Amino acid sequence: MEVVIIEFFESIRFDILWNYRSLFIHGIWITLGLTVVGYTCGIILGLLFGLGKMSNKKWIHYPSRWYIDFFRGTPLLVQILLIHIAVIPTIFGQSLGFFVSGALALSLNCGAYTAEIIRAGIQSLDKGQMEAARSLGMPHNMAMKHIILPQALRRMVPPLGNELIALLKDSSLVTVIAATDILYAAKIVQGATFRVWEPYILAAIMYLFLTYIVTKIVAYVEKRFSTSYVPSKRPKIFSLSRTFTGGR
Amino acid sequence: MITVEDLHKSFGDHEVLKGISNTINEKEVVCVIGPSGSGKSTFLRCLNLLEEVTSGSITIDGVEITDRKTDVPKVRAQVGMVFQHFNLFPHKTVLENITLGPIKVLNQSKEEAEKTARELLKKVGLADKESVYPASLSGGQKQRVAISRALAMNPKVMLFDEPTSALDPELVGEVLAVMKDLAKSGMTMVVVTHEMGFAREVGDRVIFIDQGVIMEEGDPQEMFNDPKSERLQSFLGQIL
Repeated sequence: MEVVIIEFFESIRFDILWNYRSLFIHGIWITLGLTVVGYTCGIILGLLFGLGKMSNKKWIHYPSRWYIDFFRGTPLLVQILLIHIAVIPTIFGQSLGFFVSGALALSLNCGAYTAEIIRAGIQSLDKGQMEAARSLGMPHNMAMKHIILPQALRRMVPPLGNELIALLKDSSLVTVIAATDILYAAKIVQGATFRVWEPYILAAIMYLFLTYIVTKIVAYVEKRFSTSYVPSKRPKIFSLSRTFTGGR
Repeated sequence: MITVEDLHKSFGDHEVLKGISNTINEKEVVCVIGPSGSGKSTFLRCLNLLEEVTSGSITIDGVEITDRKTDVPKVRAQVGMVFQHFNLFPHKTVLENITLGPIKVLNQSKEEAEKTARELLKKVGLADKESVYPASLSGGQKQRVAISRALAMNPKVMLFDEPTSALDPELVGEVLAVMKDLAKSGMTMVVVTHEMGFAREVGDRVIFIDQGVIMEEGDPQEMFNDPKSERLQSFLGQIL
């Protein structure tokens, strides 16, 4: 038994992958590119459709709901294939490449989840906040901008961070439309070297590394947002100096 | 100053206000009392259109605010409202809470709004709290900030929706003191309250609402000493 394990570890040779390093590095950029584009567009879409779902106007409410239900209720893999093979070629007469299809699918998928995060964030606020803003004579949009959204945003930060990490990992699905991301690089290397362990382990480590960085960024953002909520040292010092000069 | 005529309000099938008519004069302090669920808060919230009225009319300073064509935010800007749960903006400092309305809605300059805000804070005894966030204030302090916030809009009338009901007993006094000062300064006030002492001392008139109608109204002394309707007698019997 021991011998088998030792032989197995001796047979793992990561040095083989060195020749294919440019494939993996390119893969990282594609994965990051798709994630960033998908997430940015997703947040914009999410804001529009999240607010849309809360609208009292039926012609805004129902399309928003259908959009969210469709993209949350169907697998991302199906969405990617549908967009790449059916939607884009039908509209444009040809494929626009994996990046456009992949980014579009990820954006739409991320938008649906973000919409629900934004809606939940806004609806979790006490109704009194909106009433107080309205009683000061603020029109609805002004109250949203100055009172509701800034507070809701704080509550949205943790779930939005989760969404970013999920999106980063889910972006590996674009490999089915031959997008040259990290996972695709692993697949190519497997085909070229007939090694199964090394390329996929490396892909896993790369994803782990990327999600680790994102987790750190999200944790930092969360901290930044919460310190401005609870009175921190900075505003206190500020207040002291101000009352001091005011007292003169 | 405020004329209410045959005001009805329903939530779905449930009719909360069943025809309320009243006139509130300038500089008058009207206290609204009644059991919970009687519709007194709903009545107050109709006065600044936080609730859409089902039928009837409300006129403030000659402007019919229940008219569909009225500019609702403009009406609300002229009517100050103080809530039971303060509803301060937790992400803004005390000073920002007070200046936000004047700056954004009345288009005042920041300096002007801050000057007014500091004067108001001084009046309610919170001059040293302008840079802190509401989370670090006590309930009584929060409510005094909320009153300042409403006053900063220079309203024609102030509405109070059970302003002391969410406070610890020892903090009620400081809020009532601010309200007394306000009444003395000649502000028109409509106060939904359970503080019978306040109603008796400061109120010019008391309105007793029960089951969506005004059961009895009149001078506070007379009403508390000699309640005419049976409902008011039993209500006062329960709380006094």
